[in-house]
Amino acid sequence: MACVAACGMFAALAQTPDFTGIWGIYRGGRNADPKLAPPPPTQLLLKEPYAKQYEEKQALQAAAAKRGEQLGNTSVLCIPYGVPTMMSIAIYPVEFIQTPKQVTIIAEAFSEVRRVYLDRAQLKLDEVPPGYYGRSVGHWEGDTLVVDTIGIKPSVSGYRGTPHSAQMRVTERIRMPAPDYLHDQITIEDPVVLEKPVTYTVAYKRMPADYEMVEFVCDNNREYIDENGVVRMKLEKR
Amino acid sequence: MLLRILRKNWAWLSVVAATFLFTVSPVLPHHSFTMFDMTKHITLAGTVTSFQWTNPHAYIEIDVPDEKGETKHWSIELGSPSILMQSGWKFTSIKPGDKITLLIAPLKSGQAGGFLLHATLPDGRVLNNGPQRPQ
Repeated sequence: MACVAACGMFAALAQTPDFTGIWGIYRGGRNADPKLAPPPPTQLLLKEPYAKQYEEKQALQAAAAKRGEQLGNTSVLCIPYGVPTMMSIAIYPVEFIQTPKQVTIIAEAFSEVRRVYLDRAQLKLDEVPPGYYGRSVGHWEGDTLVVDTIGIKPSVSGYRGTPHSAQMRVTERIRMPAPDYLHDQITIEDPVVLEKPVTYTVAYKRMPADYEMVEFVCDNNREYIDENGVVRMKLEKR
Repeated sequence: MLLRILRKNWAWLSVVAATFLFTVSPVLPHHSFTMFDMTKHITLAGTVTSFQWTNPHAYIEIDVPDEKGETKHWSIELGSPSILMQSGWKFTSIKPGDKITLLIAPLKSGQAGGFLLHATLPDGRVLNNGPQRPQ
């Protein structure tokens, strides 16, 4: 009898793919199968005054790089990336843990964690406290996990460093295009900042079976931002 | 003889090695390489004072004697432990007192700090500053 509810849930799960495992960033490359490599992103089109502000910020960064300097940002201070940037940081893998009621995603870089609830509805925007991961709910559409996330606070850097408002909504369509490959198609809607939604895809390949996630606690961050906003490295005092 | 050839061509070999290294270079999670002069490569041979297996980066602190016998202390940044483990590093790879040789890209500021290109350990093994993970 006790099996009825639980077994039913696992039976439903058996019809869906299992994303559980550790996934490394897969960028494809010249001879990659186009089915497995990430497709190019759609056009990023910002509204004013955000477009002008973003352009100015990029020009400042380019000018600094020309001087041989990097301007500071929140990640230099080891502040987490949040949703959706955390899904693709350098070459760091992400781990998916899938159960009938929840998919948990752990990014190795900065040990970021997000939880996708599969058994409940999304709240209204004004019911979600703004944060780095917001609130994510998901449902299955065939072999695709569709994830809806709201509640990302504006101070969390957006896609490619773009600004975003508290009204940003992130929709992810996560599926396995082939065994051992995973695609997360991410669509960002923001009626305040974006002229139209932008969509990009993060592709992953399963890491070797013996790979173990490495802890990442930023307790020895020697990088700092000086009074001119430039990234510097602290040296050991002797 | 071999040593003389190596010494004569060290600068050139360094460039080749660094070019190779940076085609498979680690990608930093939170800052770029901009503060380091990647066109300049310096060899540091000295004694390790500490090996910090930490995030967001590991560090090698090393005392390096110059020709006059004076010691200069250097702080060398590596990738994160996660990235280093992919090229054979362990938290026990080096320890204080070890005599090692490092090829580094120095800070543009001229201070005694830099970014590791590769390390030659006391047992002769050469470890890179992280690989690109297999695609």
